[in-house]
Amino acid sequence: MGLKNMMKAANKGIRELDAERLVDKFIDLNLTPLGEVVVRTKVKVCGEVKRMTMKPRSGIPSMEIVINDGTGQVTVIFSGRRHIAGIEHGGCIAVEGVAYQERNNTVFLNPVYTLLPHGAE
Amino acid sequence: MAGFISLMATSTKSSAIKRFLIGKPIPTSEDAHQRLSKKVALPVFASDAISSTAYATEEILIVFLSLGAVGMAAYSMLVPISLIVIALLTIVVISYRQTIFAYPNGGGSYIVSKENLGEYPGLVAGASLLIDYVLTVCVSVAGGVAAIISAFNGLAPHRVQICIGFVLLMMVANLRGLKESGALFAPPTYLYVLSLIALIVVGLYRVFVQHLPPIEHSGEAQHLLEMQGSVTAFYFLKAFSSGAVALTGVEAVSNGVPAFKKPESRNASTTLIWMAVILGSCFFGLSILAQHLQPVKDHEGKIPNTVLAQLAEQVYGGRNIFFYVTQFATFAILILAANTSYADFPRLSSLIAKDNYLPRQFSNRGDRLVFSNGVIFLSFASIGLLVAFKGQISALIPLYAVGVFTGFTLSQAGMVVHHYKHREAKWKVHMAINAVGSVTTFFVAGIFVVVKFTDGAWIPAILIPIMMIGFKGINRHYTRVRSFLLPSDDYVAPFHTHFVIVLVGSVNQGTMQAVRYAQSLRPDRLIAISVIEHAEDRQKIDEAWIKYNLSDVELQTITSEYRDLTEPILIRINELDAEYDDDLITVIIPEFVTSVRSQWLHNQSALAIKARLLFRPNTVVTSVPIVIP
Repeated sequence: MGLKNMMKAANKGIRELDAERLVDKFIDLNLTPLGEVVVRTKVKVCGEVKRMTMKPRSGIPSMEIVINDGTGQVTVIFSGRRHIAGIEHGGCIAVEGVAYQERNNTVFLNPVYTLLPHGAE
Repeated sequence: MAGFISLMATSTKSSAIKRFLIGKPIPTSEDAHQRLSKKVALPVFASDAISSTAYATEEILIVFLSLGAVGMAAYSMLVPISLIVIALLTIVVISYRQTIFAYPNGGGSYIVSKENLGEYPGLVAGASLLIDYVLTVCVSVAGGVAAIISAFNGLAPHRVQICIGFVLLMMVANLRGLKESGALFAPPTYLYVLSLIALIVVGLYRVFVQHLPPIEHSGEAQHLLEMQGSVTAFYFLKAFSSGAVALTGVEAVSNGVPAFKKPESRNASTTLIWMAVILGSCFFGLSILAQHLQPVKDHEGKIPNTVLAQLAEQVYGGRNIFFYVTQFATFAILILAANTSYADFPRLSSLIAKDNYLPRQFSNRGDRLVFSNGVIFLSFASIGLLVAFKGQISALIPLYAVGVFTGFTLSQAGMVVHHYKHREAKWKVHMAINAVGSVTTFFVAGIFVVVKFTDGAWIPAILIPIMMIGFKGINRHYTRVRSFLLPSDDYVAPFHTHFVIVLVGSVNQGTMQAVRYAQSLRPDRLIAISVIEHAEDRQKIDEAWIKYNLSDVELQTITSEYRDLTEPILIRINELDAEYDDDLITVIIPEFVTSVRSQWLHNQSALAIKARLLFRPNTVVTSVPIVIP
């Protein structure tokens, strides 16, 4: 049995490993998992910053990031600014707001955010 | 195989080596066909058939003496068996004369049986002939080397190495494009025929007029002669099937009809008959001589001298100039016989490849207008067999000739159908002749498989069906690809949303060139992606992006928690791909091109990404080369 599980663990992809790590990290916050976000309702979610996009200079300045908590990922857009101090790759934030669907992505536009400097603590 | 050649051409230095070995390329326009007169055509096409006299008698004796252990009784069987073989030869030659007239453009077994009997018989003929050409190289080279070893016994331990050396030599010579030129073929063939006739005439004179005694044997040979076994039907048939290898190569003339001077068919048919007369009379003469002089040979090669060498030594009274000339001529004609396979195998494999049953590479001509891949394949297959069977002819003989007679049978059966369909003058007579030929050769092939099954005849019996499956598989694939790619009448190439992704490691000239190139494609959406390991790197790369005025392109940074570069990029590409249904993604990778010496220091991760994206549908991978002098 033990061996079988070990084999299973060894065969896990990097994606699954990372997802498990993130689920463990955020489980104590008791927020809505990103995989269960319902659009057009107010939710509070959190996740680790996985992608940051620098938008072209032309057009409206905005900051676009993707956060992931192991159950899913959402795009968070803060318009009107190019960067928010404290939001960096690998950092964690909690956001509270109403999400909408754009193509395959769930997007939060200008939500209330909280930096979680040390993950769940 | 093709890889081998193209590998040789990758850099200028190795291409110089290739040039030295193979010679300078010949333009396609110089592919003129040389027409041969009968005197020149005879050595060109008959060397294979006539050369088999060098080992056919010996193989009969080996079956009786070494395998059947019948002792002296073996010699009384030689003449009857050779008469049967000659009768068989007559039937086959008369049948093939008709093929020559029916197919003036060259009617090999593959073409005749494919045209008249259909796909599968054609493929059987093709497969068995391909196997046989490989074996012709093996048997002839092994026979030629055996002739040398008979003259210089000290070389015996290096038999296999010498064989391989000659195969490689022939490979290079044929890659250079050895034409079936009379200048090369004529002297050894005629020398061999003359020395054989001299040996037979002088030998018979000395036996019957001067009462030359049989060869005196000692040791192993003496032991074999003292056996008292009786000649059973099984060993008789086995010896007969060994002797029937004398017929291999008879089909060569009918393959090469277009190479004759006009009138092609008539000249070819005359040449075929000359060949049959020479072959039959030499074989018969050698059998009579062997009956009286009683040479001995075993199947494991413990007796180093060939039967021909033993006869020559006895007839000429020792190892004098005549002995060495005979040995040299034997060696030379056998090497030439092997060389005819180098003309036939690549030609047949190219025909089969053109019909989409073999990889296309077999129909590609190399620098010197020869089917290089066929030549190389034939060489390596032969070397493999020579090594596996330690260069012993007797071990290879059971594998041999099954294919030849399968080819004979199918080709003659094809001719029967041909006559029935066309119904030209006297078609019933012609059909009867081919029918007799077909049935006879079919029985002989059957005898081969039965009596020599355990000795190795099972190998072609299994290999031919396997090759058929291979042929069909290759054909199915090519057909599927072709029908898939064939545009229907109203086909229009689909419109794609073009999505371009530039992969960025760090911001440098290479990146900037790649971005500029990406912009010149005018995509529907252009983004740059960079995988970063530490949070600080994001800021650095963002600042550099702005500093070098790249900021009109969206730059996405993604983290790689596990330091793996390929996986996050692939995941990201999948995400982007999922956004549109009709998108085409171009991934642009800047690559540094340095020298052969230092190239391995670069682009390792680019290589990994390219390898992963190769089989991804709707994905184009483009390298922007940045040449660093």
